[in-house]
Amino acid sequence: MIARALRHPSFLIGAVLSLLICTVALASLFWTPEDPTKMRILMRLKGPSAEFWLGTDQFGRDVASILMVGARNALLTGLVAVAIGLGFGLMLGVMAAQMKGRWIDDAIMRALDFVFAFPAVLSAILILTFLGPGLVNAVIAIGIFNIPVFARVARGATLQVLARDFIRAAQLARVPKLVILRRHVLPNIAGLMIVQASTQFALAILAEAGLSYLGLGTQPPNPSWGRMLNDAQTFLAMSPRLALLPGLAIALSVLAFNLLGDGLRDILDPRLEER
Amino acid sequence: MIAKVLKQVLLAGIGALAASGAIAQGKDSVVICQTLEPPILDPSGGAAAAIREVTYGNIFEGLVALDRNSKIIPALAESWETSADGMKYIFRLRKNAKFHDGTPMTSADVKFSFDRAVAPDSKNAQKWIFQPISEIATPAPDVVEITLKQFASDFLYGLAWGDAVIFSEKSVTKAATDPVGTGPFRFKSWNRGDRLTLERFDGWWGAKPALGNATFRFIADPQAQVAALLAGDCDAHTNIGAQEAVPQLKADPKLTVTVGRTEGETIVAMNNAKAPLNDVRVRRALAMAVDRKLVNEGAVSGFGTPIGSHFSPNHPDYVDLTGETPFDPKKAKALLAEAGFPNGLSLTLRLPPPAYARRGGEVVAAMLAEIGVKTSIEPLEWPQWLERVFRNKDFDLTIVSHVEPMDLNIYTRDNYYFGYKSEALNAAFQKIKSARSDAERKAAFEAAQRQIVQDQVNIFLFMLPKVTVAKKGLSGLWEHAPLPATPLAELRWQ
Repeated sequence: MIARALRHPSFLIGAVLSLLICTVALASLFWTPEDPTKMRILMRLKGPSAEFWLGTDQFGRDVASILMVGARNALLTGLVAVAIGLGFGLMLGVMAAQMKGRWIDDAIMRALDFVFAFPAVLSAILILTFLGPGLVNAVIAIGIFNIPVFARVARGATLQVLARDFIRAAQLARVPKLVILRRHVLPNIAGLMIVQASTQFALAILAEAGLSYLGLGTQPPNPSWGRMLNDAQTFLAMSPRLALLPGLAIALSVLAFNLLGDGLRDILDPRLEER
Repeated sequence: MIAKVLKQVLLAGIGALAASGAIAQGKDSVVICQTLEPPILDPSGGAAAAIREVTYGNIFEGLVALDRNSKIIPALAESWETSADGMKYIFRLRKNAKFHDGTPMTSADVKFSFDRAVAPDSKNAQKWIFQPISEIATPAPDVVEITLKQFASDFLYGLAWGDAVIFSEKSVTKAATDPVGTGPFRFKSWNRGDRLTLERFDGWWGAKPALGNATFRFIADPQAQVAALLAGDCDAHTNIGAQEAVPQLKADPKLTVTVGRTEGETIVAMNNAKAPLNDVRVRRALAMAVDRKLVNEGAVSGFGTPIGSHFSPNHPDYVDLTGETPFDPKKAKALLAEAGFPNGLSLTLRLPPPAYARRGGEVVAAMLAEIGVKTSIEPLEWPQWLERVFRNKDFDLTIVSHVEPMDLNIYTRDNYYFGYKSEALNAAFQKIKSARSDAERKAAFEAAQRQIVQDQVNIFLFMLPKVTVAKKGLSGLWEHAPLPATPLAELRWQ
């Protein structure tokens, strides 16, 4: 499998880029070139220099440092939102699959269809108007709309696994349901869930950027790529760099995690392995 | 053949475009863009500056008006006399003034309008203007005699405000949406959320305005304002929010840019009624942590004028008190410790939408963080801000520009949103009102300015600049804003 991974170009690119972004985000916990919130208003809108690698923003803050901390916020958003979606989605999906044919399956899936029917970002905006803007609420909102995605995948995959002979064998041997779930079902659907997580991760980053751009996500002074884009708008003519850099960061991250997801799908797909 | 037809079609199209462009600029109509849309059009029904920006001197007029230099000039009253003791005013009204519905404007309308302003159910935002009045007599249709119960040095000045305009009893009830005034322009249509159009009123008493039609467009987003100007969608914007775009706009050969002053004292308002900000030491500490010069740079690209008290440098009685609370983070920290917060404290900073507030807020928050005051920034829309901050006083800090001229009196109001109450200031204010000489008034004004700094009611930042951008050829726009207004009768194309 590892050999196949190394031969897979989009996985490799995705993995290297994701790793790079993660490293930058982790590094920002310990070190940034400058304090990302430190304003030097008289030094505002300066181009890249030895002191400020990527120049300064409209308040004279170091853009490189803000981007680094922004990466941390973006990844954290992706991680927590995916964790919420994956946690609840997996639970609900597997439960629904187990209860297939009974009313509880229908109830769960129709409720999730209802959530799924709303466009995610619009719904997140709706939720945020009630909860109030902020990173935590934004992450919760994005997470909630991840639940149906994971639940659907988990239910379908679980149903497929449950129909296989070794499950039948285990059931005849009177292995308890929970043990079957843990030993047989979960390991078999894990690959699909990981692939889905990677894609949702990219989407969550994009959603957070969008919400922050609208002023509903990360609040100042906590750096966010989306808000950097918004702030940069009126400075476009003077410093296009201020919009280009966070835009590039968002695009690269989304690309990285999507490539990673694509690659993982090819590598982890059991059908491919059998071939 | 096809190419030839195509060419002709194209040429015709270009010709039509050029022609429509000429008509649009038509030397007879104008599109004025402004940031905020008025919630209603009745200047006696709300405090929003946007109401006056549209209606003042256009739809509605008062007895007197302020000109662009802040000078009191005749409007519906062509002349007036004041008794020697300053307790009686006799206004002679214009005989040819009439409302847009054709009814003549008489002394009865003046009495009606002023009585209505102080009626118990009046929503007039500036009742102080009318409070000194004891009696309004109408000896003739064109004569109004107003007797005061107490001397008010600013009585005539108040009558020049948009809140003291003259309504007709017949049409006043629909003034909010279908205003009928006496001004040079009459209300034509209002497409809420987008634009409002006015047309010339040919029965106006004054000289015929050059423009036949005027459209106000409302564009709140600073970036969209700049884009609309560059695209030529606006003939002028009366005060753009993106001051950083000034170099870019100045570089455009089709546009002219002027940087003037408004009467907008931009302040960090503090909730004086709520702990810990009810302690003057905490308020002083916060004030000393804020470097207003840098806030001016960061919020409005340095186009504002720093102020040290709630008073406009445009006024002759202004005293520069910026030195009273110098930027001194060390001393600020010591003061905080003295007040019982050696480890700093946490406050909310609720910000309305304008760029000066949102950007200023970020800068102020960063400065406060330097002395250990953590602020959680909450951006609000205007209706939310008015509800939560202004009405319910649910805030610690906020940033807002008080755009009314001469609004020091807000510090004497009971139950005003920043919760300040001071007998010393009220006394000083009474002295301003009763001042009979320039020297007396000057001294009283100075005392009042000093009092609110001594109590450090708010953090006084800067006067909001007025950055007007207009197409070349459009003249007559006000460079400064002695009050919120865009008098259309003064505009013309060259």
